[in-house]
This record gives sequence, C-alpha cells and structure tokens, in this order.
Amino acid sequence: MSESNGKPSLSLVSLEIGSVNTRAQFFDSVEGRYRFLAAGEAHSTVGSPAFDLNVGVLDALTQLQETTGRQLLSDRGLLISTDPEDTIGVNAVTTTFSGGTPLKVVTAGLLDGVSLKSVNKLVNTSYSHIVETFGLNDRRSPENIIDAICQHLPDLIVLAGGTNRGASRSVIRLANYLALALNLIPEKQRPAVLFVGNENLQEEIDNLLGSLTELHLVHNIRPSLDQESSAPAEARLADIYFSIQSRKLGGLEQLRDLSAGHLHPGANGFGRVIRFLSTVIDAPKGMLGVDIGASSITVASAFAGELEMRVYAGLGVGRGLTGMIAETHLQQITRWLPFDVSDDFVLDYLYNKPLFPHSLPATPEELAVEQAAARQAMRLAIGKSLPLFPADAIYPLPGTVPWFDRILVSGSAVTRAPRLEQSLLMILDAIQPVGITTIILDQNNLASSVGASAEIDPLMAVQVLESNAFVNLGTIISPVGAARSGSPILRIQMLRDGQKEPVVEIKEGGFSVLPLAPGKVADLYIHPLQNVNIGLGPGRGGWVRRVVGGVFGVVIDGRGRPVQVPTSFNRRQETLEAWHNALSGM
Amino acid sequence: MLAPITYIQPHATIRRPRRLSVEGEVLVSEGDQVHSGDVIARANLAAEHMMLDATRALGLNPERASKMIQRNVGEKVDAGAIIAGRRGVGARQLRSPAKGTIAAISEGQILLQVSDERAELHARVPGEVIDVEAGRGVVIECVCAWVQGVWGNGRVADGILHLVGNGAEQILTADQIDMSLRGAILLAGHCGQRQALELAAQVPIRGLILGSLTTRLLPIAEKVPYPILVMEGFGTGPMNADAFTLFSDHKQAQTTLNAQRTDPISGERPEVIIPLKDAGRPPQPIELQTFRVGQNVRLLNGEYKGELGEIVSLLPASTLYASGLRAPGAEVELASGQATTIPLANLELLG
Repeated sequence: MSESNGKPSLSLVSLEIGSVNTRAQFFDSVEGRYRFLAAGEAHSTVGSPAFDLNVGVLDALTQLQETTGRQLLSDRGLLISTDPEDTIGVNAVTTTFSGGTPLKVVTAGLLDGVSLKSVNKLVNTSYSHIVETFGLNDRRSPENIIDAICQHLPDLIVLAGGTNRGASRSVIRLANYLALALNLIPEKQRPAVLFVGNENLQEEIDNLLGSLTELHLVHNIRPSLDQESSAPAEARLADIYFSIQSRKLGGLEQLRDLSAGHLHPGANGFGRVIRFLSTVIDAPKGMLGVDIGASSITVASAFAGELEMRVYAGLGVGRGLTGMIAETHLQQITRWLPFDVSDDFVLDYLYNKPLFPHSLPATPEELAVEQAAARQAMRLAIGKSLPLFPADAIYPLPGTVPWFDRILVSGSAVTRAPRLEQSLLMILDAIQPVGITTIILDQNNLASSVGASAEIDPLMAVQVLESNAFVNLGTIISPVGAARSGSPILRIQMLRDGQKEPVVEIKEGGFSVLPLAPGKVADLYIHPLQNVNIGLGPGRGGWVRRVVGGVFGVVIDGRGRPVQVPTSFNRRQETLEAWHNALSGM
Repeated sequence: MLAPITYIQPHATIRRPRRLSVEGEVLVSEGDQVHSGDVIARANLAAEHMMLDATRALGLNPERASKMIQRNVGEKVDAGAIIAGRRGVGARQLRSPAKGTIAAISEGQILLQVSDERAELHARVPGEVIDVEAGRGVVIECVCAWVQGVWGNGRVADGILHLVGNGAEQILTADQIDMSLRGAILLAGHCGQRQALELAAQVPIRGLILGSLTTRLLPIAEKVPYPILVMEGFGTGPMNADAFTLFSDHKQAQTTLNAQRTDPISGERPEVIIPLKDAGRPPQPIELQTFRVGQNVRLLNGEYKGELGEIVSLLPASTLYASGLRAPGAEVELASGQATTIPLANLELLG
C-alpha cells in the first residue's frame, strides 16, 4: 500500500467541466507523494444536443482510461473503490463546474457603500450576472423597481442590509418590495431569495418571503459596519448555484452523487488554491491567480490567507470574447500582434470565435490574434480588480497591481501556447506585475481541481502544488521609475553556490535574462539606479535571498509600467520580436 | 469526441418546442397549423404597476393597514374606487388613482396593474402543433428542407426565396436591389456593403440569407428590421456548396427565415425552413455523433474556412498544425480533391 504522511494514499479523478471543455484529471501516489498523472479531454455537453453533462464526462474518462491504461470504467460508469490498494477504478472523485449560463441575480441592500457593496462583491465571486441592483437611495419609484425585477425574471435575489443591532424597518421595506415582485411572478418561476442581512430579522423575513419562494437565511454579511463576513454566504451561494443549475442542466445531480458531494464551482476551487499559497508568503506581499476561460475569467488575490475573488462571467476567449470586444478598442488588441494583418482579419477572428468557441487557431496569425485577445481579456479583468487589492499592500507604482510574490495563471488560452515564452509574455503583458514575482503556469489546468481535492486530502493538494505539474516560469524583477529608454536602471550580481558572478547592468526597455535552472537557488544583490523601484522603495536595493530558478531563470522586465508598444507596424514588430527573442534566447 | 453538427437537409422532420418564460395562456391546440408569425401564447409579465401605500394613506402600521384593505388580488377597480379604509364621510381612505387590477398585496402595500401589455410568444416556425403544455407552450413539427446558420439577428419572417446572381460567391450590392424584390427573402454569398443592407430595409425585403457578412456591418445587421442569417460566419467567404445547392433547388419557394440567436444550452440556432407539402415524414436527425472516417465535414476557420470535405483518417492528439498547436485531428479531402490536416476542434459534421 502506498502511503503519504502515514495515511494510505488515495487515487482520485477530478472532473473539471467548463463551458467548452470537460477534463478528467487523474491523481495518484507515486513513491509516497501525490502526483498528477494524466488527463482526458472532451467537448462539454452542457447543453444541446446531449443535454447531459455526463456524456462529455464519459468521453473524457474514456480518453483518460486509454491514456493511463488503468481500468476506470465499467458498463455502469466510473468505478469507485474504497480500497486504496485497488488498481482499478479510483478511490475518490471531485467535480468543479463552470459551464452553464451564469445565474441572473438581483441584489438589494440598504446603503451603496456598505451592505450593497458587500452583497455585490459576494455575488461577483460566483458565475453570475447582476441584472438589477437597488438600495435605499435608489431614485426609481418602488413600482419601477418591482417591474424591473419581474422583467428580468432572475434566478436569485440576494438581500442584505442592517448590522445585527442596526436597521430593521428599512430592510423590511426592501423585503416587502421583493414580496410584491414575487407575488407578480408565477409560482414555478419565482427566484430563490438569499437573505444575508440583519440576523435579528430572519424570522420576520421568513414570515414575509418564506411562503412565497425558496428562502435561504444565513449569517449577516455585514454583522457590523466595519466587519464583513462573507464565508457562510459564499458557501450557501455555491449550494444555491448548483441547486439552480441542476434544475436547468441534465446530469449535474448525478455528478454530485458521483462526487459524493464534492462538487464545487470552479472558481471556488481556484480561490482555495490561491488562498492556501498566500499563507506561505511573507506579508505584505500576496498571491495572485488568474484563470482565463472561454466564458469567464476568475481573478483571485490573497494576502496572508485573506482571499478576494471575482468572477468575470461573460469575459473570456470563447463566447466571452463578445464581452471583451464590447469594452475594448481594437488597437488594444492589435498592439500585441507581430504580424502585418489587417484590422478586418482581426475583427473577423474575434467575431467568429464566439460562434465556434471550441475551435483552435488554424494559422500562426490566428494564434497571435487569440493570444492578443487573451492578453486584453486578462488586462480588462485585472483592471476591474484593482479596487479589490488591499490598500496596505506594496504599490511600487500607483495604478498598477500591488507587489505579488507569486502569480499563478491557469486557462488553456495561455497554457496551451506552443512555446513557453509565449505563455510568459502573455502573462507579463496582461498583468504587468511589479516588484519581484515568481510566475507559475498551471500548464495542465489543475488549479481548480487541486483546490477541490483539498477537501478530500489536503496533502494531495499540497504535494501536487509542489510537483512539477505546475511550471515555475521564472522569477521576474520589474523595476519601475522614470528612466529613459536605454539608460542603466539596475546592477545585479548573482551569488550561486557560494560563488559571486559578474555584475550585470540592466538597461531600461526590453528583457534581460539571468540563467538559473529550475529548482536551483541563488541570492541576488540588486542595486537600483536612477531611483527606480523594485518593490523595496525608490532607489532601494539590497540582497534578495533564495531566488528560485524557473524555465526562464531570472527575468528582468525592464519595459516599465505600463508597457508601451510602438504604434507603427515596423517598430511594433521589431519590439515584439525583440522581447520574444530575449526570452527564447534567440 | 462528440462532434458538433450543422444540418443541411433537403428533407427533414424538425420539432421545435416553444415555451413562455413564465406561465401564461396557450392560444393554439394540438393539430393546429401555425405560421411563423402567429402568436401562440402570451403571458402577463410586461405589465406596468403603481404602488399604493395603505399604511401611509391610513396612518396605520402594516398589520392594521392590511386589515383595512377592501380589495383582493385579481379584482378590477376603477379610478377613484376605494382600495382601503372605512366608508363614510371624513374617514381616511385610500382610493385608486387609476383604472386597473389589484396585482399583489403585502404588508399594507398594494400593487395596482395599470397596463395590460402582455409578452407574446410567436411560433417562429411553420408547422403543426403536435403537443401542448398547458400554460407554458407547444411543440411544433414541420416537414421541410432545413438549413442551419451560425449567426442571426434575432428576427423572423416568411417570404419567397430569391437567389441573387448565380453562384455561392455572389456578392450582394445595392444595385441588385429594387422594388421587384419587395417581400422576398434574398440569398447571396456575401455582403460587405452598408448601402445594400439599408436599401433592402427601404424596399423592404422580408429577409436575407448570406454565406458571410463583413464584420464591420454587424451593427447595421443588428438594427435592420428584417431577419439576417449568416451561414459560415463573419468575413468574406462564399456560402458552402451543399447549402447553396439546396437553396437553388427551392428558388421562389415559400420560406421561413428564423434568424434566432444561437443558444448553446437550448440548442437554438438560426435556421432556414422551407416547408415541403405532401412529403413523407423522415425520422428526426441523429444528433449525437462522433467523428469517423468517411463523414462529410465543414471547415470552420483558417485558409479553408467554409469548405466542405470528407474525413479520410483520424489523427492523434500529438498532431502538429501550422499554428504550432498540437491536438487530435483528421486528414480531410476537400471537394477540390486536395487533402489537408485539420484539428477536430475546427470541424463540424454535415448532418
């Protein structure tokens, strides 16, 4: 029997169901440590014509079985065994889900900056669209608000308001608007209501709304003005999400049974990984995760275990391109293209891709457009997330992301790039990190599954995260300041295996690479010039200890922030190629 | 791997469920013949309301005010009618400010429905009603020649099918549109001219079927009052040969152009329906298929976008393509006889 940390180790299949692809990922113990071993992938069958998620799941499992040579399936489906020594089937299953149409949600709260802000933030951690929001200060008449609710026909209404010793009449007034709206909607189509407000009003809210619809009462999301407590509401929201999706999508209920309840929204699994990784990082630096999907992007940041997450449903690189295009000037995409293609070529690709979201770029030019679009989609999501990052984090430059110690990126638009330097450039161009950051590529798109599997065996999550399933692309040093292009901004000396290496002078503009093999450790002495900031303060440098090498070693991103790309094609091509070549060693 | 399918069928039986989003009233019965523009059901969701506050009008708390409400939900009231309060001179009363219907009452507050606008559900497809779900909707069956598109502007209309020019590559321009096309559903390979779309609206034509549409015309295509369906996608390519041949066989036929939006969950796609009279009822198409050698396919993007071919062999996941990506694929022999290697993700079966 294989053991991990004294416990018998489990074999596990994690099913990851997105709007376009369904993956079956297999984890097992190898030489006493959990490893990701293989994956099968198929089209998701969320909707027509199969109308059953399990068709795609079976397809992915069949592929996985063929790849591993391990018998996973019988004529009754996936074989589940309770014996860790079994060499057929698996011991456990988890499922993460991000397919399906986002929920239509109405939010209501008392004050815009307090309960309404908290409740909107809560809903934005799920695959949802807020279709209507109202509070006490809404200038519309009550009947207009009620008519708007009815016309949207939401899946869910989330009501917040009042601290536990605070407002009650105003909350009841809002609840009464909801009662009137629910009365107007035929019983079978009434949205569920989640009440996350003043806990002392739960009985009254129950009397008012409980007989009209499915009502969920959980702890107050704002128990006091200066305190936010969203964890219970997030957990209940995930339950409600699956409850609603199960009524709409065939096969989800069976998947919940198959997974013995270990069914999570994909974003929640992803967020759990980011939160965990942040706990091993010294504050005030944090951990950032970006998961770019076909129909949504998740941005999760965590500082010392405090997670902030937001799901941008409708923003992505498949059907989500429509949402991205609506918020983008074409030039924000074409600036990343090293090819001389017409704007019409780019537009055609961007508008056709949502029609065939499962399709792959067919030519290098199409690949470049898709990667440019992925940059812009991530950049939009990061831009929208800036208010979520804590004010007391380190900001070497105002208006940018704070200093993240590590950045983990998941999602096939980035991870399936034919060359790793393409993945790294997409990440750096989109996020434009500051300070000193390690970039981790989730090349097998495992993060959500690993987060979900932590519930079954936390050790599995830890050991898989430590394994080479996640690729350390390198440590990126991103000095910011006002230096002129071509002028020296840093002097760096590497201390490796007790040996000092020659001092390297870094100039503003472009990339410089200091080789340091993956897993190798070195110390760096960094001396900023011209008052540039590497995260330690303007002009401040010193020893940076225990820098771990990655695929690209140590990369100095001397392009400044924000990254500027020349507008004329010839200069743009020259610049983009130079950046690419600097990383690829050409 | 399950294969996406686009149907181009000269003789098909299609069934279309049409449901209200909320409960309402179904206006047709099983066995009825319907046209695409017929209203088959309606619901009461689009109504406007006024809120009347008995607590404020009567100066009472919600519990006591509720007891003073003299009307029930569903009751019709005239302007000036007493809604709540005691009768008699000097008594505080809440009177209806308008004619309407009591729609809801809660905690001393009353919603008065003051407009009778209703959400209407149109058939969108012609055919026979073969099933009725009381209060929700129907299933319509149609025996027809049937072609699916990839994009529609959401509108629907019936008309006589008119082919512009001679071939699948025909480009639609304004000088080809005149008053003789009033009421027609036009078909062309491509349109890249704003004036053509706008002139077509002035004639007006009943609809437009295109192989491709210039992407920059999308905002216009969204706005024109007639349905537009695109077969291959955005850009400049022609219509695929199979679809064009089918349409050529039905010149001047009565046609329904249902340019509904694509909904991947429900499976709704824009479609052209040409009802066939006195034709037998073939079985409904098989919808779940995997890629196999010998199948006819359409190429979705790249150099051969919109071309048709046949799968000659299936290729493993390690297959490398011009883009630099690796993925499972197929060797496809194009109609021209040329062979090419395409990722399965970039193929659709022709049903």
